[in-house]
Amino acid sequence: MSWEKEIQEIEKRKQLALLQGGESAIEKQHLKGRLTVRERITELVDPGSFEEIGLAAGSASRDESGELTNFEPANFLVGFGRVNGRRIVVGGEDFTMKGGSPSAAGLRKSIYAEDLALQFKVPLIRLHEGAGGSVGGSGEKPASLPDPVYAPPRFQSVAKAMATVPVATAALGSVAGLPAGRLVAAHFSVMSKATAQILTAGPAVVARAMGEQKSKEELGGWKVHTKNGTVDNGANDEIACLEEIRKFLSYMPNNIYELAPRLTCEDPVDRKDQILTSIVPRDRRKSFDMRLVINSIVDRASFFEIGTDYGRSQITGLARLNGQPVGIWANNCKFLAGSMTANGANKARRFMELCDLFRLPIVALVDEPGFMIGSQAEKEATIRYGTAAVLTAAMTTVPWASVMIRRSFGVAQAAHYGPGGFVLAWPSAESGPLPVEGGVAVAFQRDIAAAPDPEARRRELETQFAAKQSPFPRSEAFNVHDLINPAETRSELCRWVDRIVPLLPGLLGSAQFHIRP
Amino acid sequence: MTKVTLETAGSVWKVLINVGDFVDIGTTMFILEVMKMEVSYEATKKGEVVAIHIEEGDIVEEDQIAVEIREDES
Repeated sequence: MSWEKEIQEIEKRKQLALLQGGESAIEKQHLKGRLTVRERITELVDPGSFEEIGLAAGSASRDESGELTNFEPANFLVGFGRVNGRRIVVGGEDFTMKGGSPSAAGLRKSIYAEDLALQFKVPLIRLHEGAGGSVGGSGEKPASLPDPVYAPPRFQSVAKAMATVPVATAALGSVAGLPAGRLVAAHFSVMSKATAQILTAGPAVVARAMGEQKSKEELGGWKVHTKNGTVDNGANDEIACLEEIRKFLSYMPNNIYELAPRLTCEDPVDRKDQILTSIVPRDRRKSFDMRLVINSIVDRASFFEIGTDYGRSQITGLARLNGQPVGIWANNCKFLAGSMTANGANKARRFMELCDLFRLPIVALVDEPGFMIGSQAEKEATIRYGTAAVLTAAMTTVPWASVMIRRSFGVAQAAHYGPGGFVLAWPSAESGPLPVEGGVAVAFQRDIAAAPDPEARRRELETQFAAKQSPFPRSEAFNVHDLINPAETRSELCRWVDRIVPLLPGLLGSAQFHIRP
Repeated sequence: MTKVTLETAGSVWKVLINVGDFVDIGTTMFILEVMKMEVSYEATKKGEVVAIHIEEGDIVEEDQIAVEIREDES
């Protein structure tokens, strides 16, 4: 006697599982302009590469004769796939069932995503749309026994995954509660401007607890969460979010035991952009476009910015130099003069930790006037977060190259130089304890006040001190490795890359994390 | 109507437009001084300046509305 009947049932269950929440639920999802989780995974991974795990998990219904009448799959999908040929683990809530609020088997599968990524040491991608737990519990069946008191902390594997493999997430619809927590437990997160909101709690819960009447978009739309650092990037729609994740992963290794792939570079390493020789205005009050500088130095079109709308005085992103993935950190003098704000410092600290964990060399393009000052900056505890960034830089183990583009002042400048770093200076570089404009006014207050023409005296002193902050005396004292023609920055950094790449294998393994202020 | 809001706090150094002026995309409308640097605001829409809510010397806040422009439909 064969197992034909059971084999047929297995097939039937599979077919039912692939129907997800049913035709009308899928249609509803599409009418809202959103993809289903299966469609999302198909769009994300290389064609035909998705290998699903746990299609059989869910709950079956039978009639009185014991025949299978329905099968409701777990509402979290998980499995392996490939992105640009490299294996990854992907998971996501199925919003067409219970609004993504985890069913019993769905919750198990969602937790398993981290376990799989850790076991196989491959990047983890989570595509989120769903609510957290429900007071009603998971499913119609009576609640099973809760976890024993000695069960490991639920979020331990989430934390371990972040310490071991690249984790990239996307918010593609409303993401609330537990999925929202999981969304931000990532090295890179992106939200769809067209379809996503991120909510610790949704409008109904907020209205009940706080009396605040707000829409989902007002509470947790992209205008809120790209600016406050909850997510790194906003992308126009779901497809654009998936493209951002694919791009992010291209700069990443598979795990902390491997190095990020170096690509062949078609952009000449000795390409000289003459625009750089005059991009920094001689008038110190005038700003310049640091993104132009970055794009001119790195391999053509390789700059991928992370966190554009958060902590905007600092620019962070990934790029390549002669094919080698590197982290780029630069000041944006067009926003608060490029000063280190609390948010900017948090962004920079997180970025340095990302680079250090995955052994991506850091290139700092320095134009740092110092910590942001004023009452708002004091309220934001700028000095604490800024100092955390400074200490993070001091404890990094990856190679650094710091190019002094313009200003390098105060305690904050120390965050832009790593241990044993290669330091180059442009002729426009100025450095010191604080910029002359503020420093002279304070240190020579009486002198200036007593002068027959205080304004003239102030300017005279400023000019005198500005000369002392020039890079020439610093290079004479071997305070920098070299003074360079700005147009040669790319070739200098590409040569540096060739020197430091052989050091990277020796750094592989767990990062040393220390408590920071 | 396009409302031009300020991206950061600072002080208003120069206002280069008047109510009734027509601005083109890229026209510098006003310049703030922020942390001793000039930050200029250029028009991103073409149209008529219908209101200016800042004056030279003002201390301004982030998100404050500075200028209102009625977009030129033509």
